Amino acid sequence: MVQHQPALDRSFTALADPTRRAILLRLGRSEASLGELSSGFEMTLTGLKKHVQILEEAGLVATKKVGRVRHCKLGPRRLEDVTKWMTSYRNLLEERYDHLEAFLQHTKGTP
Amino acid sequence: MTSAAKRYEHLLSTPSDRQIRVERIFNAPRERVWQALTNPQLVAQWWGRGNQLVIERMEVERGGHWRFVEHAPEGAQGFEGRYREVKPPERVVQTFEWDGMPGHVIVETVTLEDLGDGRTRLVNVSLFHTTEERDGMLSSGMEQGMAESYAALDRLLLR
Repeated sequence: MVQHQPALDRSFTALADPTRRAILLRLGRSEASLGELSSGFEMTLTGLKKHVQILEEAGLVATKKVGRVRHCKLGPRRLEDVTKWMTSYRNLLEERYDHLEAFLQHTKGTP
Repeated sequence: MTSAAKRYEHLLSTPSDRQIRVERIFNAPRERVWQALTNPQLVAQWWGRGNQLVIERMEVERGGHWRFVEHAPEGAQGFEGRYREVKPPERVVQTFEWDGMPGHVIVETVTLEDLGDGRTRLVNVSLFHTTEERDGMLSSGMEQGMAESYAALDRLLLR
């Protein structure tokens, strides 16, 4: 888990923005060019490029330039890495509460 | 919907995408559960999950620090944070960081509900952030940016 940390940081930042999450959802449906994405999101090309660049740096999106058009698709990094830490934390929490439950049971009748 | 789109679908259900909710009902009155959560002598008896727990700091008040170290056979693990809100006997909001995951901070909101029959419902809602986000959260212009992003998302979802 620890060795994924820098990538996790980038993924978290990339996913912090609802527009970027929406871009991922859109690309999950099919590949699209930057131009198609920008008209779909009613956003300037410059604004959209910035979002795509952040997603690309996080490995969540991959782009390829063909002629004058830049094509975007889902990248090699999957969200499983991002959710790994959340899953570990959840397990930790559940385990602690199991122990709290046992403790409360064990100390029943004491003030 | 393609399987790829399905994989990302849950991301759109903000804010739950970065949130974990755990709910438990304990067969104990609320005051006892509150004590077990906020009295260091009691916390030491269960928080370590069977491992020895050293409570280095536990200042249960707004702005107070906490730092616990679990000593497991395979090594020590440190956890720490600060209390943001303490409202006995029903609500604690605190930050949570693990030494092994620097740069990540979780904001935990724990509420206790008296079920009236000697039992208590505990709800823990944990929200995940990077420390960078936590520190930048108050920076100006963010709200405007968020509103614009949500507007874009609304438009996408209405298509």
